[in-house]
Amino acid sequence: MDEVAGELKQALPNVCDNIQVHVEVLQKSNSAAKKEDIRMSVLKLLNRHNIVFGDYKWTEFDDGFLNNNVQSVSIVDTDLKLKDRQPIDLSKGSLSLHIFHLNEEGPSSENVEEENEDIIAASHWVLPAAEFHGLWESLIYETEVKSHLLDYVTTTLLFSDKNVDSNLISWNRVVLLHGPPGTGKTSLCKALAQKLTIRLSYRYRYGQLIEINSHSLFSKWFSESGKLVTKMFQKIQELIDDKDALVFVLIDEVESLTAARSAFKAGTEPSDAIRVVNAVLTQIDQIKRYPNVVILTTSNITEKIDMAFVDRADIKQYIGPPSTAAIFRIYLSCLEELMKCQIIYPRQQLLTLRELEMIGFVENNVSRLSLVLREISRRSEGLSGRVLRKLPFLAHALYIQSPSVTMTTFLQALSLAVDKQFEERSKLADCV
Amino acid sequence: MPPQCGGRKPHLAPQQQPFRLLPALLTKPHTGNAGPPADRPPEPEPATPRRTRRMRRRKPRRGRALRHSHAAPRQRPFEFQTATEQQMASAGSAASPVSPASSLLLPRAPPGVKRRGRMRPRRSELAVACPLVSVVFPGAVTRESCCLFACELLKHVMHQRHQLPLPYEQLAYFCRRAAKDGDVIKKSASMDLASKKCQQVLMELEGVLQHLEVMFRLTLVPRVLILLGGNVMRPKELYELNLEGILEGSAEESLKTASCVRKLFHSLFVADVFSELKALPAMGTVVMLQGHRSCGVDWFRPKLNYKVPTRGRKLVVNLSCDGDINMSTLPAQHVTSDWEDYVWFQAPVTLKGFHE
Repeated sequence: MDEVAGELKQALPNVCDNIQVHVEVLQKSNSAAKKEDIRMSVLKLLNRHNIVFGDYKWTEFDDGFLNNNVQSVSIVDTDLKLKDRQPIDLSKGSLSLHIFHLNEEGPSSENVEEENEDIIAASHWVLPAAEFHGLWESLIYETEVKSHLLDYVTTTLLFSDKNVDSNLISWNRVVLLHGPPGTGKTSLCKALAQKLTIRLSYRYRYGQLIEINSHSLFSKWFSESGKLVTKMFQKIQELIDDKDALVFVLIDEVESLTAARSAFKAGTEPSDAIRVVNAVLTQIDQIKRYPNVVILTTSNITEKIDMAFVDRADIKQYIGPPSTAAIFRIYLSCLEELMKCQIIYPRQQLLTLRELEMIGFVENNVSRLSLVLREISRRSEGLSGRVLRKLPFLAHALYIQSPSVTMTTFLQALSLAVDKQFEERSKLADCV
Repeated sequence: MPPQCGGRKPHLAPQQQPFRLLPALLTKPHTGNAGPPADRPPEPEPATPRRTRRMRRRKPRRGRALRHSHAAPRQRPFEFQTATEQQMASAGSAASPVSPASSLLLPRAPPGVKRRGRMRPRRSELAVACPLVSVVFPGAVTRESCCLFACELLKHVMHQRHQLPLPYEQLAYFCRRAAKDGDVIKKSASMDLASKKCQQVLMELEGVLQHLEVMFRLTLVPRVLILLGGNVMRPKELYELNLEGILEGSAEESLKTASCVRKLFHSLFVADVFSELKALPAMGTVVMLQGHRSCGVDWFRPKLNYKVPTRGRKLVVNLSCDGDINMSTLPAQHVTSDWEDYVWFQAPVTLKGFHE
């Protein structure tokens, strides 16, 4: 009998179990219900829907309590652990529920005072912020960039928890993302901060994201810049002292703060800039002792960064331009949004790349539009994520100008917009 | 400018200050030394012998200081006066034979002194860490009064901390007049922008005040926070109104609202909490308050994870009730065990301060 059951199990598609399933529950902004009550109701809901395929999001519920208190229940990031979309048995895998509220207020500014002048040196968000909601999902990378980053922080926390001697094994809590412009490095940093705040909500009450304006840390007074950096980090230190907060420090375009000191030998850079680099390096060394801080940095020009800083970064992740598969997914998400807003009307079902692969790219009524989109994606290779995200907009602006269009027309316009983009690029290159 | 008002805005004449700030009270015919209003609560019983003894010991020094401060409360030297001292001072006056009229304006000897005596922090600690102003009302207080305390404190803090160029009532008056004159006189573009901004801020503030009223009607509010600058987790300045010690009464059995507000503000003036602070740039003000989890308020946003920040400049205004209150006639008071069902709510607007 057991044998038969075993055979049957093999015959059935591989139901994946024993994986950690993350469920994010977004509580309504006006709901003050207890977390435990919501947890119970959501578990009941998940019990009823035993098996899910990949990520799934509920926004409407049979349960009145959930309807009143919960905005959405989403099973997320299953694709980070599983290569293919496969059924997940919720009853077997271990569920972790993350219940959170979004903070609706925008960023506040952090000032560094200098000689009666207030310089806005940083923007400051309380996480999870409404501004960054959905950002993580909108970022599409083909390699395991996202799961690497999440695993990195998990390990960091594990090491801090177990009190690993940082003199023997050292880690610096610095992540450096580098790559060409427009690939979503800064967005990824923000999304990562948001994600981690939600994931770790059981141990930290809230997250803080501080985005430092590197340029504002340079003083007009000679030798003052280093002090401004120190002042800035003192403010950050105050935030870190709150053990309930998970603090993310985002330094965008980090090369401006940590320019390679070797370049100064040529004498073209003022020595004040050297002091800034030194200040940043020493301050990072100070901060790394604390368990509740992560420093996120991005850069376009890696070769300009000081080696001592590159050394300190635990993860140096290259973020390249998207591949065809990623481009296809980006376009797909754009078109979904346009159909939701009824700019593309009537709604058409588009297949994912994987579904296309399963039918062997055979052209038929269902797959025709998706194949056209795939062709456009192939031609778009080499464009950055930022350009890709604005192409649907440009396509509409340049070639459509009507409140609603069919999918076929829109795809033609999109194709023209891609051609135009490459044309513009070659013209720009000719001028130089 | 007379030397005693140095460091203050020149347009604030010291003797005018309390009354300009509380125009709501102007309806009551009283000046600095006027007779007691008819609705004044009965004069409380003298303090307990032990406390009186302690007061008397300190009286010679404190009594003088008090009379001085009473004549012109804002003339105090620019040292920070701790709550305990202030209570001592006022307590001393209650025991000393000052005129009945002036005792009206003075807080009664708070019985809190004795209770707090054991763990009274050192003066320096109080001044640096967390200044505290305690006000004890000699009887029960209605919930509407509590709401008015919060509203008046918000207006007061916003003006005193340079987020409003004029006190709220004056600003509202000028704004209304400007709106009326607006169609007659053509103003320059910059003036127009400034008045628009002013109107915007006033409208938002008015909204907050109205919603505060709604909130107080829906639920018991044990604490109110006024947060200036920064963000809610780390404000630059924090003002806390603690109402946990208030005994709530019905309208008939409770003290009159006006006298309570007067008493609250008198304590604030005597404590002189605003004078030594540096002028602030215009920044955002956020109001937070605790309420019952299921009070059904829609406008305020629940912040279940919120924790009152410990850093930054903080002032706590502690209100409580004492005196001969017949507990059986009061509505059921809340026991501390269900405080955990009281969660923080945040006003969804940030009041943006402005200078003229």
